[in-house]
Amino acid sequence: MSRITDSTREGFTNGLIDLAQQRDDIVFVSTDSLMVVKGQPFLERWPERVVELGISEQNGVGVCAGLASSGLTPYICTYAGFLTMRACEQMRTFVAYPKLKVRFIGANGGLFGGNREGVSHQFIEDIGILRTIPGFTILCPADGGQVRAAMKASVDIEGPVYIRIGSGREEQVFPPETPFPLGKIRVLREYGDDVALVAHGFVLNRVLKAAEELKAMGVMAKVVEAATVKPLDGEGLAQVLEATGCAVTVEDHTVVGGLGSAVAELIADRVPAHLVRLGLQDTYGESGFPEELLDTYGMSVSDIVDGALRVIGKKKKKKD
Amino acid sequence: MSHDTAYLEECARQIRRDVVEMVYRSKDGHPSPSFSSADIIASLYFEVMNLDPANPSWEDRDRFVLSKGHACPALYAALARRGYFPPEELTTLRTLNSHLQGHPYQPKTKGLDATTGSLGNGVSIGLGMALAGRIMKKDYQVYVITGDGELGEGLIWEAAMAAGHKKLGNLTVFIDNNGYQSGGCVQDVSGPYPIADKWEAFNWHTQTIDGHDMSQILDALERARAVTDRPSAIIAQTVKGKGLSFMVGDNTWHKRVYTDEEYAQAMKELGGKA
Repeated sequence: MSRITDSTREGFTNGLIDLAQQRDDIVFVSTDSLMVVKGQPFLERWPERVVELGISEQNGVGVCAGLASSGLTPYICTYAGFLTMRACEQMRTFVAYPKLKVRFIGANGGLFGGNREGVSHQFIEDIGILRTIPGFTILCPADGGQVRAAMKASVDIEGPVYIRIGSGREEQVFPPETPFPLGKIRVLREYGDDVALVAHGFVLNRVLKAAEELKAMGVMAKVVEAATVKPLDGEGLAQVLEATGCAVTVEDHTVVGGLGSAVAELIADRVPAHLVRLGLQDTYGESGFPEELLDTYGMSVSDIVDGALRVIGKKKKKKD
Repeated sequence: MSHDTAYLEECARQIRRDVVEMVYRSKDGHPSPSFSSADIIASLYFEVMNLDPANPSWEDRDRFVLSKGHACPALYAALARRGYFPPEELTTLRTLNSHLQGHPYQPKTKGLDATTGSLGNGVSIGLGMALAGRIMKKDYQVYVITGDGELGEGLIWEAAMAAGHKKLGNLTVFIDNNGYQSGGCVQDVSGPYPIADKWEAFNWHTQTIDGHDMSQILDALERARAVTDRPSAIIAQTVKGKGLSFMVGDNTWHKRVYTDEEYAQAMKELGGKA
């Protein structure tokens, strides 16, 4: 079987194939989303494990509740907002509350994911919405291989799991076969303790570039991937923040409710530190090419460098 | 077809007495919606459904989804009387530390198959259970009760379309057509009529019966069982509050607590001890 590992959408289908080869309980619930995730290879091999419901997301999530309560493990994949907004109540009351094992795969995460489709198909609130719902595990893997690894790592979690994917235009960040660090942060660069750059998802390569630029300027950063947004690795992040005293969060999401908020909560609750939150500043995007959207909406490499210098400035001012 | 219905009618009366006890003692709950579903619930739990109360999660059991979750006092009563938990616990309804939540919460209450309460969701959940039966090659049946006011929820029709398209013969939905919703007459508030034609149009087998006539309920369920290439909708013509003279025709009993006098009167009418 041909395997394409270059995007998060294919990462999902490949991950599903991996799981279905090993277990009988895996079901793909499609709300006319089979083409979106290039699910044909799965359909051809396991037609009886594909539930196609047509364009009906609330019904799709309700059906998942029924499937999961009968002993199957359904994976429902469609656009992130059609799940987390249109079917939000079904996700909360009929899946999360009774702790059912349903896996939600939200496509077109962020501006990068929605890009030229415009605001109706750019989902910048999904993580914030789900963070408020008790019992959700929320994962934001950086590339196709990581989506696949995240599915494998999370398959046995009791209760619901949300995995954010994109449009199919993501760059590779990690070498293939890299495990997904479920529930833990991953320190990707450890140049020093001047600042922590905390990020996840499709902006990670930009953050790594920013760390190099900062290093060339003599500013030594730690780059931390927080791909599990909930439950957040508070212990790991607290250690990083204690060392650096300041952080920049970078997320392709509104800064309200997502990773930046999660880190701000940790800072408020546990370890004082200075923070700059990069991402959409409580605004909508617009149609555009993915990279230029990130550049335009405050997530360029130079925005990250500036953010780091700014937050280091705040830390120094406080010390003075 | 003839049935010995006297036993089931007594089961339904017991359910109604329990509902009165629960609402009176715990001072909260939805009496008249529970009464309109009581006979259907009695027929399912005391005759039709294949169950093992000693093993509530038995994977071959028939499933039941109370989409009109606010009628759960009737369901809790059936579960208790069927042996899932002691009937003495019924009056803890809606109180702190009770396993009997205001609306059904599957993980807490033995015998429940689904979490419900927010209207319009039960048919989708039942559809998922029926699909799981097909995928896992099990021959259990799935039964759902929705309200008639509840038919205003668009999700009901998403599920109806999908179940008809998938020709799910193992799914039966009762529409408890009692003519009232919280805000008044269904005809005035929402107007889902004609009901049977809509399910028919989504390729369901439909029947319209008296939802308080035990023989008609059992006959309808037998016919539904015999239809294996389509899901079944049974439009049950019911009376909200059926069984208690002072609740019939008075929609304030959608959610209301019995006074001492009303409680005594109710027990007298239902053949119980006050």
